[in-house]
This record gives sequence, C-alpha cells and structure tokens, in this order.
Amino acid sequence: MTSRRGFLAGLLATGLAPRPTWADVGGPAYLSAAATADGSYALCGIGVARDLLFQIPLPARGHAAAAHPTRPEAVAFARRPGTFAVVLDCMSGAQKAVLNAPEGRHFYGHGAFSQDGRWLFTTENDYEAGKGRIGVWDTARGYARADEFASGGTGPHDIRRLPGTDVLVVANGGIDTHPDTGRTALNIATMRPNLSYVAEGQIVETAELPHDWRKNSIRHLAVSARGQVAFGMQWQGAGEAPPLVGLHERGSAPRLLRAPDEQWRKMQGYIGSVALAPGDRAVIVTSPRGNTVLVFDTGAKELAASLPLADACGAAPSGTGVLVSSGTGALALIEGGRLSQAAQAGLRWDNHLVAI
Amino acid sequence: MKHLKIACLLVAMSTPIAAQTADELVENIVTHHILPGFETLAKETQTLAAAAETDCDAASRPLRTAYGAAFDAWISASHLRFGPTEEADRGFALAFWPDSRGATPKALGALIAAQDPIAQSPQAYGEVSIAARGFYALEFLLYDTQVSTAGPAAYRCTLVRTITADIAATAADIDDAWRHDHAGRLTAPSATGPYRSDEEALQVIFKALTTGLQFTSDARLGRPLGTFERPHPKRAEAWRSGRSARNVALSLASLRDLAVRLAGGDAELAARLGTSFDHVQRDLVALEDPIFAGVAKPQSRFRIEAMQQSVDDIRDLVAARLGPRLGVSAGFNALDGD
Repeated sequence: MTSRRGFLAGLLATGLAPRPTWADVGGPAYLSAAATADGSYALCGIGVARDLLFQIPLPARGHAAAAHPTRPEAVAFARRPGTFAVVLDCMSGAQKAVLNAPEGRHFYGHGAFSQDGRWLFTTENDYEAGKGRIGVWDTARGYARADEFASGGTGPHDIRRLPGTDVLVVANGGIDTHPDTGRTALNIATMRPNLSYVAEGQIVETAELPHDWRKNSIRHLAVSARGQVAFGMQWQGAGEAPPLVGLHERGSAPRLLRAPDEQWRKMQGYIGSVALAPGDRAVIVTSPRGNTVLVFDTGAKELAASLPLADACGAAPSGTGVLVSSGTGALALIEGGRLSQAAQAGLRWDNHLVAI
Repeated sequence: MKHLKIACLLVAMSTPIAAQTADELVENIVTHHILPGFETLAKETQTLAAAAETDCDAASRPLRTAYGAAFDAWISASHLRFGPTEEADRGFALAFWPDSRGATPKALGALIAAQDPIAQSPQAYGEVSIAARGFYALEFLLYDTQVSTAGPAAYRCTLVRTITADIAATAADIDDAWRHDHAGRLTAPSATGPYRSDEEALQVIFKALTTGLQFTSDARLGRPLGTFERPHPKRAEAWRSGRSARNVALSLASLRDLAVRLAGGDAELAARLGTSFDHVQRDLVALEDPIFAGVAKPQSRFRIEAMQQSVDDIRDLVAARLGPRLGVSAGFNALDGD
C-alpha cells in the first residue's frame, strides 16, 4: 500500500475524501485474473508499463472481469459455468459484494457496466430453457439483482457496451449446455450463433453468419471507439480450418476476415480473445491451443502477421497496438506486426485481459 | 459379468506396441482401432435393419437383440467424432443424445399422431428432425411404454423399419468413406489434405480420446448424477433399454484400447493407463446398477460419483502425460477452453 493510498483510506473514513478513482490504485490500464506460483488465484491490476499494480486473492479460478468505468472496483467472474462473481474494491482488496446467479441460471464469465457505472450486465444461461439471458445488477443497492432480459440467442458469452452509448452487444455462441453435463454441447446439429445488440432491454439488431457457418460459435468481442465490433469464434464443425474472425458494424452484414488456410489451421478452430488496435487499423486475435497470435489489417480485411506465443490468451488495446497476455506469464506488446515481450514472473495470466 | 468379459477382450487385443514413429502409430490405430470399429458398426446395423424387416414388433426378441448389438457397435466407435462421422451430421443422425429438451419423444409423437407419410421412405426420412433419427429414437419405439404403444401398430412398424434402414445407410456411408477415403488421408498426410503431418493426424486422434472421456464423465455419468439435492436417474443414457452402465463400460473399453495404442512405445505409461481404466471397469461391475438408479440414494450415489472421479483422473493422466508426448499443448489456457 502506498502512503497516498493509506492517506486516502484515512480521509475516506472521515467522509471528506473525493470519490476514489482508478488513479488511486496506480492508474491500472488492465485487469486480468491469474494463477499464482503457489497455486492460488488472484485478480491483478496491470499498468501501462506492464507493471503489476495490485494483486487481490480470489476464492477460485477466475475468468474475465468487468472494470467499473470510474470507481476502482472490479467484478471477477468464476470460470463458466460459474454461479458466483465477486465485486472487489481494488483499493482495499476487500470484497464489496458477491453476486450469486439466481436459481436456474449460471454465469458465462463475462459482464459489462452501463455508461454511468450504475448497472452491471451479466451474460447468463437459463439452462432449463436453453435460452440466453442478460442479468441486471444495481450497483447503487449493493449490486442487488434488478432485472433480466433475453440475450437474443443461446449461450451468450462475451458482452460489451458500445462506447458513448448504452447499447450492449452480445456474442451469442449458440451452444446449449446444462450444468449437469458440464461443458458438453447439447445442440451442435441445430446451433445458430449470432451477434445481438440490446438497448433498454430490447433486441434492436441481430447479425448472423450465413447458414454454412452456423457451427462457428461467436464467443469473444472487441469494440472500438467508433462502434466497430470485431468478433472471434470457435469452430464446432467437422475438419477444415474455417475463418474465425469477423467485423461488424450496425446496419450492415458481418464480414469474415481472410487468411491463408494454414494460418487458420494454426488456430485449431479456437480464438481465445479479440482486440482492436486504437484507430481501428488492426484486429488481433489469440489462440492458446495454437500458441499463435494473428494480426489482421482491417482495411484490407486480411492477415498481416502471424506471431508465435505459447498459450497466448488475453488481448486488449495498448498505445498504438495491442497487449497480449499468456498462460506462461508473458505480457507481449504487438505493434506494427511485431512483438516485444515482458514476462511477469510467477503469474499465469488467465484467459482474458480487460482494458479499464 | 458381461462387462468384465468386454473389458478382458479388449485388454487382450491392445498390448502396447513397439511402434515408435508417429507414422506407425497412426497406421496401427487406423488399421486396428478405427476401421474395424466402423466395419462392425456397418455390419451390425445391416443385421438390425434386416431383423426389423422380418419382425418389426417392439417386443420381438431378435429385433431387440439386433438393436443391442448394433448399439454396442455404435458406442464402441462413438468417440471417433471426426472425419466421416461429422460430415453431414452423420454422428448426430445416429445418436441424438443428450436430448435435454425432449425433442425425440416430441418428434416421434408428432410423426405418429399425423401418421406422416415421410416415414415410408428411408431416403426421404433423412429430412426429418435429427431428433427422430438414430439409436435413441429407436429405443423409444422399442422400449418406451408410451411411444411403443402410440398410434396404429402398422405405422410404428413402418417407422421402426425406416429408422433402422436409415441407421444402416448412415453407418454404411461412414464405413465406406473411412475405407475408401479418410483412412488414406490420415495415414498419408499431405500439404493439401486435412492432415498435413503424422503429428497432426495423431493430435486429431488424441482429441477423440479426450472428448470421448469427457463425454463419458460429463454426460453418461454427470447427467444422471445431477447434484446431490437433485439427482436425475431418468436422465441416464438409454435407461429404457437398460443400457446406461453398459454404454459406460463399452465406451471405456474402446477408449482404453485407443489410449494404450496412443501411448505407443512408452510401456510404463501404457500400463498406467491400462490399470486406471481397469479400475473403473471393476467398480462398474461391482456397482451392479445397470441404469444408475442409485444416483438418488446417498450410499450408491457416492460410488457413482467416485467412478466419475476415476474417469476424471484418467483425463488428467491423459492430459498430463499422453498429450505432451503427442505434441498437444498442455498450456494453462489451452486446457481450459472457453
């Protein structure tokens, strides 16, 4: 704890302090769940310089996290199909609240805040009905459950808010699962993934890929300042190495990005995370199974670079490029199609890097 | 006792091979594990279709026996979900399970209620909902008290004949595609084929092993187990025909064969794998609970949970020891899957 933090904590106790912001915890640029050297789990704050700013213990393995837009507060989700999420005060490390999925629901490990930070939206599975739901939690009332609405599809996974708006975009992966059967997919033969846009609890737009690509499960998203959505998929069909990355803007059809077959093969039908570089010039995707990072030129809609990185997983915008995290502890900056590494000893980054 | 016989049979067949190279491993697995599996499936489903032609009555002894033998053959090959089985959703057309939404009885009920003429032609039948095709649909027609007595007997008879003919045709397609096309692609990788190297071929085969184990743990055992507060004995696989435990035994026997072959020249690993599988088989026999009815009773439930844990232990062993041998990533995130 820095002395500034200690000072603020003291001030807070008097009720005279200004509201804390992310600056008060060192101004982290990213959050990531991690496994520590001793086998325990933590939520970490990472600075722009790729330094570790804080590390808060988690009760179990984490997945993605949701960063509050202004307060130094994060929601850490359990691995799917999890039924809990913890709200962490990143200044004190204390748990501010615990979210429990309502009866008959489980979380998918992703969530997003409203523009004003009042509401948290979580992707959920109504598993008896096999329908995707979005849960709504009120941060002003201790994260009490406030509402829920349809996600627009089955198996909603990632959820983002379009910057400058309160429109949510949901990656409905299309796969029906039930906690009794773990992660077994129950509907591959009839699955139909989609991207759904939701405003005020209503579906306002749905985008699907052509029927031939219905087994391409849309799972992970990135959104840019101007509202472009990049999506990464996981292929549930037979053989081949189909395209796994696309772009979408509201009011138009989704476009798949092009790469040589052998680069798609490298990804092993599996995209871990997606990120759009600032300025929307590039899309970067990771595959922990393929130990590869692919860089796409968004203008030409095709592959610009393929970079090896063992267990590459998280990805988030950084400076003029993208920061990628890996399960071996690396934090690699990707700019101009090249990669520079900085390892974080003793920590294994988990699945997703969340930009604050 | 039958379970033990099956396990013993396959132990005898799958002594660890001296083969070391990736190329030899693939050849061995294709020749001794994959092709015979689909050949048997084609043969037994042919016999099943013929039995239905002779006597389509749900209670017919020869028909039920043929159903059992064909289902056995499917379960033994059901983990090989790549190549011809996945094309045109053939695997799902043979086996639509788990059916969490009750689509199968619903689809069959609708066909019977409408006496839908589509049931008259096996060729046309491919157009119906996938939930109304395959072994699990057939099980309803032969063993479910409601479906096996619904509507006119003559229509049900037609349905049984069509479904068994459809199953036989699908199995024949899979066998044919394997023998005349896919086996060659696996054993002779090429830059333009689906497998560019022997290592890649091995990795796909390895994935069949891990997925097969996951399915047996999560679906075959997990589904009826449910939770302690809410077990679901009626969600056990093929409980109507008394096959739930049998299917677990058959799948494990087949997966054991594959695992040991994949271990190749590593005799210690092969032995460890073999022992782990044998352990679960013994527990299964000792359980004496063919349809996992015991999931609802604390003491017997505990034993089924322990079996599931043993299968998960095999998964861990395979991931930790066998995967890396075959160049399959064992990374922190790669193993998680999201």
